[in-house]
Amino acid sequence: MSKFRGAFLSAALLAAIGCAQAQETIKVGVVQPLTGSVADNGMAFVNGAKLAVAKQNAAGGVLGRKIELVIEDGQCQPAPSVSAAQKLLDRDKVPVLVGAFCSSATAAVMPIAEQRHVPLLTGVSSKADLTDKGMKYFFRSAETDRVMSLTFSKILAEKLQLKNVAYIGVNDDWGRGSVEDFANEMQRLGVKTAMKEYYEHGTTDYYTLLTKLQASKADGVFVAAETQDGSILVKQFKELGLTTKLFGVGSWATPEFAKLAGSAAEGIYAAVPYASSIPTDLNKDFVNRYAAAYKSKPGKYSAAGYNALNIVMQAIGRAGKAEPQAIRDALYKTDYAAPNGHYRFTDKGEGYGYDAVLVQLKGGEPVVVTMTEAGKP
Amino acid sequence: MQTLLQFVANGVVVGAFYALSALGLTLILGLMRVVNFAHGEFYMLGGILGWWTTSRLGLDFFSGLALVIVVMGAFGWLVDRLLIERVRDQGEEAGILLTIGLAIFLSNTALLTVGTTPLKVEGPMAPGAVFIAGAVVTKARIFAVLTCAVLMAASWLLINRTRLGAAMRATFQDPMAAQLAGIRASNIYACTFALGTVITATAGMLLASIYSAQVSIGGLVSLKAFVVVILGGMGSFAGAIVGGLLLGLTEALWGGYVASGWVDIIGFLLVIVILVFRPYGLFSRRSERA
Repeated sequence: MSKFRGAFLSAALLAAIGCAQAQETIKVGVVQPLTGSVADNGMAFVNGAKLAVAKQNAAGGVLGRKIELVIEDGQCQPAPSVSAAQKLLDRDKVPVLVGAFCSSATAAVMPIAEQRHVPLLTGVSSKADLTDKGMKYFFRSAETDRVMSLTFSKILAEKLQLKNVAYIGVNDDWGRGSVEDFANEMQRLGVKTAMKEYYEHGTTDYYTLLTKLQASKADGVFVAAETQDGSILVKQFKELGLTTKLFGVGSWATPEFAKLAGSAAEGIYAAVPYASSIPTDLNKDFVNRYAAAYKSKPGKYSAAGYNALNIVMQAIGRAGKAEPQAIRDALYKTDYAAPNGHYRFTDKGEGYGYDAVLVQLKGGEPVVVTMTEAGKP
Repeated sequence: MQTLLQFVANGVVVGAFYALSALGLTLILGLMRVVNFAHGEFYMLGGILGWWTTSRLGLDFFSGLALVIVVMGAFGWLVDRLLIERVRDQGEEAGILLTIGLAIFLSNTALLTVGTTPLKVEGPMAPGAVFIAGAVVTKARIFAVLTCAVLMAASWLLINRTRLGAAMRATFQDPMAAQLAGIRASNIYACTFALGTVITATAGMLLASIYSAQVSIGGLVSLKAFVVVILGGMGSFAGAIVGGLLLGLTEALWGGYVASGWVDIIGFLLVIVILVFRPYGLFSRRSERA
């Protein structure tokens, strides 16, 4: 009798645990810079991510369970990003990670994801060699410097008729990577390199750099910078009365950028994977919902967060269970229709199929000059 | 030649800005012997409040600045009376820990209230370039450099030529003797701290009108201000000016002729070299304090 009762009790207990699990949320770990000089962009990513999750949860979640974002601050730096990822893996036991914005930070998190067999998707880190490290759990739904430089250098050399170009980048993996890739590609097209210079994150005074630019007699300048640094640089560029043609990568076409740089942003070219003015239905829907939720138009990083979370949630759906291995396998089969193109992954985890857009800022609005789909690398 | 002139002009302007942002730190450090690690956060608060008064309240720059000065003066006074007072005379470590804690508290509170977006402070000057011997400087920058000079002169006069200044110097030389002579020491401490806070916040608002006000700027400002203060000698105004100009010029020339990506190295190299040859800074006032 007591044996029977024991079995009955344990069966009931198991059933109870099963029920509890069915109602539990599926956690997705997110590491983004929420403080520091790119905090603003990190928050844009998080806002986009939340929007994607809210829509999915409103439609019943994934596998009958709600998605829960667990967001940690990685400060765009390797060490804090690693701690954040470890916390998400150890304490929250997330089956999938999204992050960590800056390429240097993502590169530091990658080995941990690999070691713990948890898939890591970055929607932002664009340094080309991240996908060349033979990692089996790393995916990237971001434009790489290589893809961007291939797609854009041709447009720039031909459309803007440049002969002698200067390169300025933020002094980290991403900035240096962008400058190198663009400079190489432009040189291949016969454009001379006037100078290559770097500045630190959070620099406020660019007069020295810009004086050097003026002395270099370049007819075009390429800048790899994020909103905060970039807007100050552009303001001082105009203060010094420079008339060099300016084009940039990073978050140049965001509303914050236009607002901060004010009239100084007029006429700047930006090579971006996303602009809120892309004329597709999916994008219009995304822009409207984003504007309703956050009272501003989405920029590049909002779209990146939105896309990354949609890709992850679809993968969990395809995997049929919230387990790292299954999600990883499902991520390879991604076929996601985004506001800005159609994302797929190569077997190295490299995303492709998204649109690459050249915009010019006119009256604070990014106007699409030309756009092409980034082909399979 | 033209380029060199521009580099020098850039260096002088940035140097003056460094001096301006280090002034409050050197005042509090030199007089009160409080190593204020919340210095950068006071500077940040000046910028954020500046944005709030000019954009939200719609005041012009100078009325906004006046309001910021009043608010930050009261804030500095309260910080001293409520916090610093509790760790006075307990060695420097307690003060250091307290101000580090205060810095973390302030930056996170600001982060929570205004968020991460950089904020624009409308400057007092119409935008426009001015040419001095062929070098481009904007009106706003010249104005900031002049304000820097005025602030320094005013603080120096206040400390060395007024009754309040005399009371301050007396208190910090010997609090007991000063109290016996009828000086209310606790008031003097709070006054000095408030003065340092006001100067720092003014610098923050002024420079935010040239760059932009950011919640996360504090750490960087503290770092540079400490470099300037160590270069010039703790508590010396002349030292802060020379230290600031030295740092600004070296950075501009190094960035201009060597590599701008390495510009932060030069500040710390300077500090090491100066500390080797003059361990108490260029203008140390060590002899005055037994």
